[in-house]
Amino acid sequence: MSAKQSRKLIVLAAIWIALILAPYWMVPLGGYTALATRVLVLGLAAMSVNFLLGFTGVLSFGHAAWFGLGAYGAGLTLKFLAPSTPLALVLGMLLGGVCGAVLGTLLVRRRGVYFAMVTIAFGQVFYYIAFQWSSLTGGDDGLRGFERQPIDLGLFKLDILSDANAFYYFVLFCFALAVGAMGFILGSPFGRTMIAIRENERRARFLGIPIERHIWIAFTLSCFFMGFAGALYALVNNFADPRGLHYSQSGDFVMMAVMGGMRNFWGPLLGAAVFVVVQDYLSSVTVNWMSFLGLLFVLVVLFFPRGLLGFLQRGKA
Amino acid sequence: MVQRKSGGFGRRRVLQGAAAIGASQLAAPFIVSALGEVPIKVGFVDPLTGSLSLQAVSEVEGARYGTAEINKKGGIMGRPVELLVEDSANDVGTGVQKTRKLIERDQVSFIIGDVNSGIAIAMAQVTSEKKILHIVSGGHTDPITGKNCTWNVFRICNSTAMDANAIASTLIEKFGKRWYFLTPDYAYGHSVQAGFEKLLKAAGGTSAASLVPLGTPDYSAYLIQAKAYAPQVLINVMGGGDQVSSLKQFVQFGLDKQMAVGGTLFELESIRAVPDGARVGWWTMEWWWDQPGVPHVAEFNASMKKITGASATARNWFGYASVQTLATIANQEKTLDSVKLARALAGFKLPPEIALQPGAPAFREGDHELMSTVFVGEAHPPKGDPDNMFTVHNPVPGEKAAGPAEATGCKIRWPA
Repeated sequence: MSAKQSRKLIVLAAIWIALILAPYWMVPLGGYTALATRVLVLGLAAMSVNFLLGFTGVLSFGHAAWFGLGAYGAGLTLKFLAPSTPLALVLGMLLGGVCGAVLGTLLVRRRGVYFAMVTIAFGQVFYYIAFQWSSLTGGDDGLRGFERQPIDLGLFKLDILSDANAFYYFVLFCFALAVGAMGFILGSPFGRTMIAIRENERRARFLGIPIERHIWIAFTLSCFFMGFAGALYALVNNFADPRGLHYSQSGDFVMMAVMGGMRNFWGPLLGAAVFVVVQDYLSSVTVNWMSFLGLLFVLVVLFFPRGLLGFLQRGKA
Repeated sequence: MVQRKSGGFGRRRVLQGAAAIGASQLAAPFIVSALGEVPIKVGFVDPLTGSLSLQAVSEVEGARYGTAEINKKGGIMGRPVELLVEDSANDVGTGVQKTRKLIERDQVSFIIGDVNSGIAIAMAQVTSEKKILHIVSGGHTDPITGKNCTWNVFRICNSTAMDANAIASTLIEKFGKRWYFLTPDYAYGHSVQAGFEKLLKAAGGTSAASLVPLGTPDYSAYLIQAKAYAPQVLINVMGGGDQVSSLKQFVQFGLDKQMAVGGTLFELESIRAVPDGARVGWWTMEWWWDQPGVPHVAEFNASMKKITGASATARNWFGYASVQTLATIANQEKTLDSVKLARALAGFKLPPEIALQPGAPAFREGDHELMSTVFVGEAHPPKGDPDNMFTVHNPVPGEKAAGPAEATGCKIRWPA
């Protein structure tokens, strides 16, 4: 094993140990378990955006739509279909992913700013549907009246509703599944092709790679991950609202990805952690917390163009 | 060969230093907050930014004054009270998140809020899940003490049905039965309009309505529709900043010469924010600073004037009454147990120094709504005192405005 590989393994182990022990080290530092859960869920969402942005080189500014659809899918399932958490997660993910896949066919021929604009437009369509369809979605008041349900594992029941730690580990398990799938895809030949498209689209086309189909597949996969994150988010709050579909929420996800480091697999998780913790702390101190976060973002973009994680890695190298 | 100078401060070192200092700023307050366990914490979630910010800021001012008064008198069971205020940004998702944060991170004993009815209902779901005593200071929609009522939620401000019942007969008698609604498109707006329509239908009237998204700056399209319908009364249900813009445009369009305007609430904060010409119409006030002969009102008004520089508003009183109610009941029962306190609050009569109005309003056992007086009257440009912009013509007792508790659809289920 080369030194580079072993270093990679050590970093990976460190990340997972930090995540597994989060409820134990966050509380003494004055954090709380639910905050760690939010970091995981929003981190997964930012990593899904980055799957497209950092590894295929396509910027979507409407990804909150799939996130919000996942949340509504999970919420509506729990409220109207069946009180089952796994079913809610699956249906939430399917709602976000399938809508993304269908609209993706219309998107893939656009590039750059046009792609971003069209994704915003489609995202806003879903926002206004959720906003106006009060009888189903609760409109501006959001979707209430559902709760995540205990998981029946046969031998024992996992009470994820009232036990914050149990819920954190449940979310961590889901996060690990999604991140594992994401890592597997990126390591496969398909993932390599995505990177080739990012680096030089024309060259990839000349090599005979069907670019549009590849971008569509990458977009669809990213939408499925996003829907999954959204479904988890509905379980975190026991609540879903139209603001989760709004393009400003998409902007937050892109901000997390860029702040953390968009060429880096784990960057967006760090970006989400900084975003969520700073928001949580500063918004209690001042109503103008967004200005400080914006300032931080500007500093990161100006001084660490490869994101916080890119900077940390360069520092070590 | 040039040797690189070591030990100097390069750009990178400066940036690293700055990042380290920045990071320590974030870590330190966590550690400090973990130490302070002594005070009793009250969490207050209100939309300090957004279109309801004027109302929210007034509530917080009242609550801060109330907290200071409680602490002067020894706090709750000898422990000081600390008020933690969080901004819900007039957004339901943020409100839910802030409520969870106050309960999970700050371990508050009580929750107060929100001005926005949609947020208040969503918060109530969180507080009942977490079994925390919750006072809705200023969210008016009916289901809070109606079909969505819970054992742990009590409300200081009136329900929309109470306000609508109190003003509707006045509007029908004075102006007529053909009405047009300008309704904000969220829980509060829908429930006010439904309440009015029920009363109007019973009186044999007709109506039409425009649903307006929150934060709309331009009302010309809706006002043209209203004009085309030619109503006798325009019922303006818009709240906060939206009400201010819509009333200004109503007068600019000259519609005030063609129809009467009125509705449930035209709060002092909003009357202050419009020009003299738009200070018109018939409305309900939920508390009024000028109540000659009612004990403690003048003192409260003078104290608020010292803090804000203007007369006390209903929102000041909501915030004040919310914290005072919590402190009084906890001191009376000598416990912080939310179930015991909620049982004691059901039917609890506010003492005169908190009630600040004629009679002794109580939290009704059937739905946990405070039976507070509704002050029906007319808005006008200032007469004498700059805040004398409303004349109370008919104070309606809370019980009369609210109707029977059974009719609200509230069935309270207590935890086992």
